[in-house]
Formats: sequence, C-alpha cells, structure tokens
Amino acid sequence: MKVTARLTWIEEKILEKLLGNASLTLLYQSSAHKNCVSEMTQKYSLQGSTMTVFHLEKDVVVGVFILENFPRLVSEKPCTCAWFSLKRNNSSGISALFLNTKVIVDSEELIIFSLDGLSLSVTPLRGFTLALNDTVMNGLELNLGHGFLPVECEIFRVDGIKKNPSFIKKMVTAEQHRGKLLSALRAYKPYKDLVSEVRILLVGPVGSGKSSFFNSVKSAFQGHLTRQAIVGSDESSITKQYRVYSIKDGKSGETLPFMLCDSMGLEEGEEAGLCIDDIPHILQGCVPDRYQFNPCEPMKPKHSPHAASPPLKDRIHCVAFVLHINSVNTLSDKMVAKLKKIRKDVVDCGIGYVALLTNVEEYDEVLDDSFANMTETVTSLSQVQNVQKWLNIPIANILMVSNYASERRLEPMKDILVFAALRQMLRAADDALEDLPLEDTGNLAPF
Amino acid sequence: MAMRTRLTWQQEKCLQNYFGGKRFCLLYKASVQKFSHQNLLCTCENQGPTMIVVYSEKCVIGMYLKEGFQGKDVSITIFALQETGFSLCAKGPDSPYLLFHKRKTNDFSILLDEKAVIVSSAICKMLQLTARNNVIPIQECEAFRCEELLDERKTRGIAVLHSNLLQALRDYKPYGDLVQQTRVLLLGPIGAGKSSFVNSVKSVFKGSITHQILVGCDEDGISDKYRTYSIKAKDDSDPLPFILCDSLGLGENAGLHTDDVWHILKGHTPDRYQFDSMKPITSNHPNYTHDPLLKDRIHCVVFVFDINSFEMHSSELVAKIKKIRRDLIKHGILHLALLTHVDSLDLITKEDMTDIYNYSPVKSKLEAFHGVFGFALSDILVVSNYVSEWQLDPVKDMLILSALKEILYTANEFLEDLPLNK
Repeated sequence: MKVTARLTWIEEKILEKLLGNASLTLLYQSSAHKNCVSEMTQKYSLQGSTMTVFHLEKDVVVGVFILENFPRLVSEKPCTCAWFSLKRNNSSGISALFLNTKVIVDSEELIIFSLDGLSLSVTPLRGFTLALNDTVMNGLELNLGHGFLPVECEIFRVDGIKKNPSFIKKMVTAEQHRGKLLSALRAYKPYKDLVSEVRILLVGPVGSGKSSFFNSVKSAFQGHLTRQAIVGSDESSITKQYRVYSIKDGKSGETLPFMLCDSMGLEEGEEAGLCIDDIPHILQGCVPDRYQFNPCEPMKPKHSPHAASPPLKDRIHCVAFVLHINSVNTLSDKMVAKLKKIRKDVVDCGIGYVALLTNVEEYDEVLDDSFANMTETVTSLSQVQNVQKWLNIPIANILMVSNYASERRLEPMKDILVFAALRQMLRAADDALEDLPLEDTGNLAPF
Repeated sequence: MAMRTRLTWQQEKCLQNYFGGKRFCLLYKASVQKFSHQNLLCTCENQGPTMIVVYSEKCVIGMYLKEGFQGKDVSITIFALQETGFSLCAKGPDSPYLLFHKRKTNDFSILLDEKAVIVSSAICKMLQLTARNNVIPIQECEAFRCEELLDERKTRGIAVLHSNLLQALRDYKPYGDLVQQTRVLLLGPIGAGKSSFVNSVKSVFKGSITHQILVGCDEDGISDKYRTYSIKAKDDSDPLPFILCDSLGLGENAGLHTDDVWHILKGHTPDRYQFDSMKPITSNHPNYTHDPLLKDRIHCVVFVFDINSFEMHSSELVAKIKKIRRDLIKHGILHLALLTHVDSLDLITKEDMTDIYNYSPVKSKLEAFHGVFGFALSDILVVSNYVSEWQLDPVKDMLILSALKEILYTANEFLEDLPLNK
C-alpha cells in the first residue's frame, strides 16, 4: 500500500516557502501507521528538524515546526518552535508564531506548550484527538470549538534549512515585518513637503548592480519580478542613458514619493564610463531623463552658468554609491579616486549620501532577529570598513541588499533589505533637506 | 550530521528512471540514526514501496522492495551502481526482515551491526561486483520511501496552478490600455523553435493540439514570411490581447536581414510580407506601413534558441545576435531569451518540469547562455514546445504559460516606460 501525504501539494509549497525554501519528507501518518506515541517517536527520532501537522475538520491545518531533534519517549526538552495555521483553499492566509516551546513526550500523550501560554496536546490512543487552548486559537487566528478535536496527524522532516533559531525566527516573522516597512514607505512624506518626490541617484562602477537595484525595488513593491531597466553583461555599461524612474505602488497604483535616477557605470580609464564632470550637472538637476551620456565629453547645459539653477524638486536629494560586495576590496586606486571626487561634489552640494553594497549572499544574516539593526557580523566586514574609510560614510549608512538578478520568485527577506535600504536613503535625503540654507527652499531670508 | 542522501543527482535519476518515475524520500540514514537494523525497520515499516541503499568504497548497492516492509514475503530487486553502469537481478519473494540477518540460505544480507554486506558468488557475478570472501564493507546505509513523482496529489495541485495561470493570462491587459494587443516578436536562429512556440501557445489556449503554423527544418527555414498571430481562448470569440509575431530565422548570411529587424520593430512590416535575405523591405512595397502607430510596433522581443544547440552557433551568428541585442538596449526595447527543448536535456523528465529551474543541467545551460550572450539569468526562460504529441500535458502547459506571463509582464514594462510623447 502506498503512503501519500494528506497535506496538499500546494499547502506543502506554502509551508516550504515559509521556512525559506525547505523541503518536506513525510515520516509518520496516523492513518497509515500505529496510533501510539512510541510509533510516532520511532518514526521521527533523530531526523533533525520536523514539522508536526494536524488536519482538523473545517479544512484547517495546524502545525508546529520543531528545529531540534524530537525528544525521545518519556522525556521533555525545550525546543525552538514555529507554530502556524492555514486554511485550505485560502491561497495566502497563513498565521505563524515563533516561540520558545517545551515538548513533552510520555507513553500516552504528546504535549507542546510555550511560556506564552500556547498549549497543544495529542492523545493518539483516543482515536487521535487534539486539544488546543484559547491562546493557541487566538494566536493562530483560529475559530474552532472547544474540547477535543478529531484530527489526522502527519509528521514531516524538514530539509534544506539553516539549523539556526535566529534564521527560523526571521523566516517566520519576515512577511509581517515586510508589511510594516512597506506601509511606512507608502506613507512617507519628504521633509516639510519641500518636494513631492525625493530623487535618489544611483552611481557606481559598471556591473555593480545599479539598474538591478531599481528593478529589485520595483519588484518588491509590485509583488512580482520586474525587468523595466535592462540588465545583463556586455563589454561596457549596459546603461548608457540617464534615467529617472518613478515607481508605482503595486496595490493602489499610485506613484510613490521617491524616484530612482540611474546613470551610466563608472570605469577606471579616463574617457570611459560616466564622465566625472557630468556629476555636478546631474546633482543640480540639469540632466533630463533619457539624456545620452558621452564618456568623452561632459554635458553642456543649456542655461548659462549665471542663470537660475533648477528648482529643488529637480535636484538630487540623496546619492547612493552602489558597489558589488565582492569587488569592494579590489577596487583600483583610480576607481576609488573617482568615487572620492564624486563624494566631494555631493558634499559641496549639501546632498545626503549612502553606500549600497549589492549581491550580499548571506542576506538573511544582515539584520538582527527583530530586523531593527544590522548585525555586528555585517558591520565588521572588511568591505564595510573600507567603504567607511574611503568615502567617510557612517556605518549606519552603508546598506546591503541582494538584488533580484538570478531568482524568479520574490522572497520576503530580500524585500526587507530593499525596503530598509530605501528607508535609510530617504532619511539621508530628509537630513539634507532639513539642513538646506533658507534661500534654497524658496523662502526669503529673514531680515 | 544532516539527513541528506549521498546519492548524486545522476545516480538518483538513473534509479528514478529504472523504477518507474519514483521520488525517493530519505527515511533512515545509518550514520545519523545508528547502524542498527532495528532502527531501520522502525522508520521503514508500513511506508509503502521502499528502497535500501548501501555505499561501499567503490559502488552503491541496493535493493528495491516493491511492496515495502509488511508482515509477508515481498518481491525484491537487488541492484548495483558503479562507474561501469547500472546492473540488477531479481531475487524473488522473500521476507525483507530476514535480509538483515546472517543465514546460510541467504545469498544477500545487509549486516548493519558489522557494517558489511554479504553477497553470494552468483549475485556478485550478475551485478559485476568484487567481493573478497563474499563480504563487502560498507560506509553508509540509507532507506527511502518511493513515491510517484507525479501522483494524484501533485497532479491536483498542478491543475489548480494551471487553471490560475490560464485565467491570469486571459485577464491580461496591456499597460494603461495603450494598445488593444501587445506585440511580441520572436527572433532567433533557424530551427530554434519559434513557430513551434506559437503553435504551443495556440494549443494551450485552444485546449487541444494545433499545428496551424507550418514547422520544419528546410535548408532555408520554413518561416520565410512575416506573420502576426492572434490567439483565441477556447469558447471565446474575441482574440486575446496579445499577438505573437514570427519571422524568418537568423542566419550567418542567409536568414533575416538586420535592417528588416528594425522595420519590424518600428511597425512598418505588414503581415505576410515575404522576406528576402538580400534585400530588406522598402517604403515602395505596396503594403508597407508608412506611419505606424504604437499598436503596430513591437513591444517585447523574445530571442528563441534551442537549448541544445545555442553553443554551436558560429561566432559570426553570435556576433550578429549580440549586435541586435545591443541595438535593442540602445533603443530601450525590452527583451528576453527563451530556450526550447528543455525536456531533451540529459536525464530531464516530465516530472522535473514542475521545478525545472532548480535542476543542475538546466542551471548549467542558463549560465552557459549568460556567458555567451550576456542576458541576466532571470531573463532566460525555458520551455518544452509541443512537437510530436497528440495530447496536451498540464506540466508542459505550465512552462509555456509561465514563460508567456513573463513575456507579457515585460511588454507592459516597455509600455509603462515609453516617453510621454510616444
């Protein structure tokens, strides 16, 4: 006889994605194997991380992911657990909680409870019934009756994830945090509404990921992979035009209050890549969208040097130096000199600036468990130290992302890095706007 | 120590194909759960078809229990995987429990406590094994439940995703309703599968296989006319809001003239225009579109290549294609690559196509393609066109629909990015 999981294939995919693209292997099933605790423990002893799933009536699935090995028969032990529930045929609805939990196995009963008051117990001998207390019901947004619920139980081994409580906590709470960041960015307003949209300039060497970052930002807001900026590889910069990109919110379709300005890549040689003398023109807002850069000749502004400069809204309000994290430590002296020159121009114009390191591989380790700050592991990287030293950028403004360049599915953890980087850029822009001399804001100086 | 099989992907594929499209779910691993036949039996009882594999220094030896561990004799197949290949012999019915004990009558035993396999001389000969005194030391033992790769459970899930994807494409609208139908141009070498892709898309939406567009591999290619194909969904009278444009194949000297590419892109080339490799269309042509509108232009270009032959094109053809791509970049025309015949890659089967981008042969091909032509990995799509089949297959449909969805999303980005003056 064949053993087939009752968890549907689509539900399996949802759970695998929740845990960071894990894979599930069925070990025990109450309708195929003996209904007793000893059989359960034998089937999933020493299997590593497991997920215990209960199929309730009313098409509800409740489960507990346990990071550590399952306890032996007649024992108890603290475990790192994620609790979740999902409803069949509800394609997006999944509730998940990360809690430190104790698992108790005695000869007749399995009890899983957390210090926060969640409690779940299974008694196989009574025809497999499950008891959930009110805290579980509320925490997992369940609306079930009380008492013992007849269930089918399945236990899966979880492969392909990091055996790290911090990782699990982040994966389980990532979607929620992503939503918070997204809401904050949607609600953002530039400092004192001095401009309706903040302009962020992306500048950096060829192939550092400037255009990919724009695509990643747009993808994160749209909820699916986007390809508006052409990326790839060629002998020189793929991007040869100056582009000013607006981004629409994927939900409301409204334009977000910032624009990303993409430029030609920098190259080592003179008369190659973006002309350094073009930078001041870009910063002052003299370069129109779609302007075709010429590596050998800077732009000749139409206005005379003594005419009024463009209004504040057309200027750059934040500059992001975009660097490939694997290339930072091998930047040539000439490239560093170019970057320093640009930084000087940026400072002279009173514009905020950050550094953005792209292609971070361990992107799930950039932020701490609560997504509040960068981890010390990250801030102590030699790449970060070097950028701080060369460009005099505070570490808090040396940001990290992993662009969507080879993946086909979005991941909440990557979205979070993109949103967090944007938030820091907008803060830098606000700092600069706040620091503007009064005459630059359009107000007359007081007498 | 992780619960991960030591079988390589190729070995797993070999076993998969031989035992009839099975997926192997690791249940027991001796180095994690102790070299103990009792532990193996505890995890493997009543799990359905089961496979036990042991690893010696030089080869993999295993046995396949078609009915798994139950309280009765079951049919057993013993096999070996070596550098020289795969070999096996049928053992006939036996109690699987007894295979873990030393018995005089046993011609095959796995003694986990002793980390050894005892194989009779007869079986050694059949499996081409070398065993001193009929004993082979082993380093590891693994046990697997064998599931159908495409069982009813997965098929049902695929049907749901298929239905959702089909509906999403039917509901597709060009960005801002700027045009009624998005135009997608298929460009690529002769024989790459451009026309087959159009046929495949038509088939998926029609709900049955169609070969309306002639496909072949004449010396100069069958597609010698410019054709613009609307697609209709089953039971719908209106065409879907996109058009697939098929052209003469690209060749080193013959094939589509580079200047004709630009006429197509700008919308000057009429439907059914007969291409001439030597002479691009001119404004004197009676059906030339003099003042094309946005709706006549191409909104997305898809470069189509056969996944097996893109590495064999001449450097002249590669340079020609790269030149076209560079010009597309210069003019801001978004483009993707589509690799066909993914099902013909070594060891790839239909069952793999639900997760095709995760398989190493596919990954290798995409990276090779990126190396030759410079496309970002996420801009390279793969499909398996309908060529010889009589019936639609939901797994192939999914690949075709997924690729089409990416193409139409990309066309929408082109429309979104148009300068205001169009």
